[in-house]
Amino acid sequence: MASNPKAKQPKILILATLAGGYAGADSTGQAHADYPANTYILPIMCPVMFPPEFFVRAFERGIDGIIIMYSGTDSPYKVEADGTAALVNSSYALMKERGIDIRRLRLAAICTVCVKPFLKEVNQMVELLQGIGFVKDELAAPVTASA
Amino acid sequence: MPDKQKAARKAASPDKEEVRVGVYTCHCGGNISHVVQCERVAKALGKMPDVVVARTDPSFCSDAGQAIIEQDIQELGINRVVIGACAPSLHEQTFRNTVTRAGLNPYLYHHVGIREQDSWVHDGDPEGATEKAVRLMAAGLAKARLLTPLEPIRLGAEKGALVIGGGVAGLRAALDIAHQGIRVTLVEKSPFLGGRMAQLESIFPTDEEPRQLLHALIEQAAAHPSITILTGAEVTAVSGYVGNFNLQVTQHERGLSEELAEALLAACEQEAPDNFNYGLTRRKVVYRPYPGCYPSTPAVDWEHYDGRPIQVDGKAVVLKDKPQVHALTVGAIVLATGFNPYEPRQGEYGYGEITEVVTLPQLIRILAQVPQGEPLIWNGHPVRDVALIHCVGSREIEGVHTPQDDGQVNNYCSRVCCTASLHTALELRRRFPEINLYELYQDIRTYGRGHEEIYNQAQSAMVHFLRYRGEKQPEVAAAPPGDTHPALVRVVDTLTYGEEIEVPVDLVVLAVGMMPSPIDALVDMLKVSRGNDRFLLEVHPKLRPVEMAVRGIVLAGTAQGPMNIQESLSAASAAAAKVAALLGQGRVELPPFVARVDESKCDGTGACVEACQEEGAIALQTFQENGHEVRRAVVTPANCTGCGACVGVCPKRAIDVQAWTLAQYEAMVDALAMDIPAFAEAEK
Amino acid sequence: MENLHVDALVLGGGIAGMQAALDLADQGFQVALLEREPSIGGKMITLSKVFPTLDCCSCITTPKMSAVAHHPNIHLLTYCEMQSVAETGSGFRLAVVQKPRYVDVNKCTGCRKCEYECPVTLPSPFDRGLGAYRAIRVPFSTAVPQTAVLDIENCILCGKCEKVCAAGAVDFTQRAETFEIQATTLVVASGFELTPLNAKKEYGGETLQNVIDPLMMERFLAPTGPYGRVLRPGDGKEPTSIAYVQCAGSRDQTLGVEYCSRVCCMYAIKQAMLISGALPMADITIYYMDIRTFGKGYEQFYQNAQAMGVEFVRGKVAAIREDDEQNPVVKVELTEEGRIIERTFDLVVLSLGMVPTAGADGILSLPLGEDKFIAIPAPNANPCETARPGIFVTGTAMGPMDIVDSIITAGSVASAASAYIREHQKETAYA
Repeated sequence: MASNPKAKQPKILILATLAGGYAGADSTGQAHADYPANTYILPIMCPVMFPPEFFVRAFERGIDGIIIMYSGTDSPYKVEADGTAALVNSSYALMKERGIDIRRLRLAAICTVCVKPFLKEVNQMVELLQGIGFVKDELAAPVTASA
Repeated sequence: MPDKQKAARKAASPDKEEVRVGVYTCHCGGNISHVVQCERVAKALGKMPDVVVARTDPSFCSDAGQAIIEQDIQELGINRVVIGACAPSLHEQTFRNTVTRAGLNPYLYHHVGIREQDSWVHDGDPEGATEKAVRLMAAGLAKARLLTPLEPIRLGAEKGALVIGGGVAGLRAALDIAHQGIRVTLVEKSPFLGGRMAQLESIFPTDEEPRQLLHALIEQAAAHPSITILTGAEVTAVSGYVGNFNLQVTQHERGLSEELAEALLAACEQEAPDNFNYGLTRRKVVYRPYPGCYPSTPAVDWEHYDGRPIQVDGKAVVLKDKPQVHALTVGAIVLATGFNPYEPRQGEYGYGEITEVVTLPQLIRILAQVPQGEPLIWNGHPVRDVALIHCVGSREIEGVHTPQDDGQVNNYCSRVCCTASLHTALELRRRFPEINLYELYQDIRTYGRGHEEIYNQAQSAMVHFLRYRGEKQPEVAAAPPGDTHPALVRVVDTLTYGEEIEVPVDLVVLAVGMMPSPIDALVDMLKVSRGNDRFLLEVHPKLRPVEMAVRGIVLAGTAQGPMNIQESLSAASAAAAKVAALLGQGRVELPPFVARVDESKCDGTGACVEACQEEGAIALQTFQENGHEVRRAVVTPANCTGCGACVGVCPKRAIDVQAWTLAQYEAMVDALAMDIPAFAEAEK
Repeated sequence: MENLHVDALVLGGGIAGMQAALDLADQGFQVALLEREPSIGGKMITLSKVFPTLDCCSCITTPKMSAVAHHPNIHLLTYCEMQSVAETGSGFRLAVVQKPRYVDVNKCTGCRKCEYECPVTLPSPFDRGLGAYRAIRVPFSTAVPQTAVLDIENCILCGKCEKVCAAGAVDFTQRAETFEIQATTLVVASGFELTPLNAKKEYGGETLQNVIDPLMMERFLAPTGPYGRVLRPGDGKEPTSIAYVQCAGSRDQTLGVEYCSRVCCMYAIKQAMLISGALPMADITIYYMDIRTFGKGYEQFYQNAQAMGVEFVRGKVAAIREDDEQNPVVKVELTEEGRIIERTFDLVVLSLGMVPTAGADGILSLPLGEDKFIAIPAPNANPCETARPGIFVTGTAMGPMDIVDSIITAGSVASAASAYIREHQKETAYA
């Protein structure tokens, strides 16, 4: 799956909880499983810290897809399971308002040893973005990176 | 070097601090550099704002590698450090210590994982992997520029530990911890101590008497002034964190007073399956599992007792379970919850359908009941031929073996069954010299010290070995009526070049593997992880082999995976050493990743308080300021878990989780989204 | 050297000794760690990657080495030999020799300029003789301490190192110094050696060029290795067919090594997987009697290797000879087919077993088991206690074991030793 340096790749941001998705991504690495390189994983404590505006802002800056990999009901935080679901719903509302395809934001429960589910989530997002294209083309008034 | 000196002076100036970042891209001895072009990464990062130096090294975690970073901090005045290397779970702490040694606050360092999440997963795409590393490092840099010095939260730690499980591992851990001057509460679910080891009759390779060894441990534990033993007890609630876990332990009523115990035991008529003998026999519902058990007072089997009165001295005594609740505060928890023997499926090798099929743990109990010198009779017939089948419930292959109810197959080796099986075969040979013995195996794994001798002895003792392949398991069937033997075992034996051999037998013994004890409730309460094999999962098999990801919780014995007694003892002592190191000082340090209110922005909307689900973590308080009353949120760091529920809801952006701020994430997103021209520019 | 008084003295700076020292020091005890080589790290630091996680070995080892060097409660004593031990009322008194490095440890910065100037080239034991090093050198790139050491036996006394050293650290006048360590308890972590490569004459070890030992293969596979790739020592050719002979030094009464060495199955499988990565076209065959992948995650590892195409053949290797092109020819009895074949390979690795390192047990007069490892009188009660009170043992000094198990026994010995220290110091305080 070598990337063509000339062809611009969509950018996928993965916000992964330390207790869940981030550890799952590390397990995927330990298994030496292959997935596309246009995937950027940032560790988070728990997704509830983000307001919906954060996601919209990220799309406006040029992130084409976001996967929140949380720990679901296995989280060390009481608030994570329900709080994240609520957050995603309110984010969808805001995305619709701004004309962003809500499929660009996904929520997935990934545990520390979830290699197969991790790969599935990543590949689904990659496929989706191949279909729906860059977020910039979707936004009526693109915002430049310097804004 | 005057430039360096100037830099160092500048960094030392106390007022407006200039951000000076050192960026380090580790080759990881080729693990990263075989895919990611680390030099290109360093070059690109070197051109980004505030980066003073960008280096690569074969391994920054080595002493020499760490020395480079220390030197840069001291000589170049580096005051933010970004390291791209293996997963932060491996070496984040290593590098926090490195920068601390060089005089930098440990939280002015940020770790970027570019091995597990880059080079190891994109080895077909070096170009893409390199670009990814640049972006991830750029994001790390963006975060590092916004880092501020932090201090860990220092809390007093309760100098006490809870050990869950009263088997050999739990007992050993309890004693070792108590020897270090730490108070221990040992909680055992069953009414008696000893666990699985008590059900054995002889331990390989020394042929020692297990209950004798166990009782030596139990006597020490029971006599130790710092150990409290609670039997018939379970943890029913947990809160808190390392140093200060608050637990609720619910203990069943023993049901019998000392004076009446013997009389009740004698008078009790109701029976239930005897778990000590793996259900092969029945015992009274007022019982002692075996003579010499601890505690010696009989217990009531509350699960099976039907509530009918028992007649003692002309009185009708009704036994009542009034569970008692204990509240405990401890600094650390040891999980020594042990294992269950694998319970074969109904019909697996004829188990549950053919009376002549038993498990190895059952056979050990059967043999214990046959007096020395007497013949072995099973199901009314003298036993002449015995087949022992290895790897039952172990080394299962997906697609070949029938999965368990939860869809799992036990693809691991249970480590002890080979030696245990051969050890038992030798006992059969010794006690019943005429018996024909057949061991059906895949690989003989007598790995331990003195174990190979047992294998050699079994070979000399005329034990017949038949070797099957995992994908072609032996078959067990009931023999047709009138046959010489009640059961037939068929096996394709690779030692005779694939010949199909049929062995008529009187007894089939399944050398079953180990499964973790059912501890779902405990796992949920403690928020600890299990591996794919469902045993409890250590942080790292070599770096932190007995610790769990939740700080203050350690593992002892077979809760972690199959082990023999010697290995369980070692693991338990290793766990005790960790607890002693953790609690020895009477205080613990917690990472400062908790919410913090920016007083200049907070105007007391209370949205954070509403969003917070952790008890006592945040509250509104009223302050007097310049003659005005102002309301502001105040965080209690010890109770804050750092989830950030308060951050997302604050309309003023007045609250953040330290070292994980929203502004840092926004900066990281900007770096990731940076246009390719910017990347190319940085490359020039 | 100043005399030392510590709670615990750990003998051996391999992984078990380092971990035991760290676990004791973390509990607040004063620990001395004695290592006879110029650097700590033991056998583990020479390995490539470790099973079953395939973590790079130096990534696991070097931070522990670093932690030992920087721990405030650990006195690290490298290049030292224990000479004698006496029991005192309150523990042990050891006479220890600090061997001369001919380099002042306080001055040397580890810049390696001496090494670059030194004209004497010798086969490097760190690289199992495959690579070379100089008569004066930092022992290896990740050595702790990062201090040069001079091999006076092979030095030609040209003085180049002394001239080039900006720190003035080279000192040809250094002499061995004897000093004393008093310790309440001793922890033996003296480790293992491989069974000799030539122990089984019919396998041709040491006579056939392309029959090697597994630690040599580790150096071929290690990123820090001498060549950075896998090749035949005979002619430098890239091998396309490689055989592993399991139990080549274990489970063999004729060698006096009747026991299983526990690690050989896993290291052979690990190396086979790493070779498959380095040389995707290479065929790898493992001849075995029983595959013993019994540890946590090990069976899965074995299954992965099978899926990767590593060929596992149940067979007894009878002999190895060489053809005209120095290719080893393996004569093997295929026990599942009942026939004997000969097959030619480019390279053969003999999966050698473990024997104890000689030395420490003799000075300490510790009884040995039949297997020559230090005897443990009550393995199912006190798995780390030797027959002599106050002396404990950990790691491969107590029998073959892998790194995971060594680290566990190190934690275990730390518990046993610390209980002994507390008990004993309490007694002597009242005495």
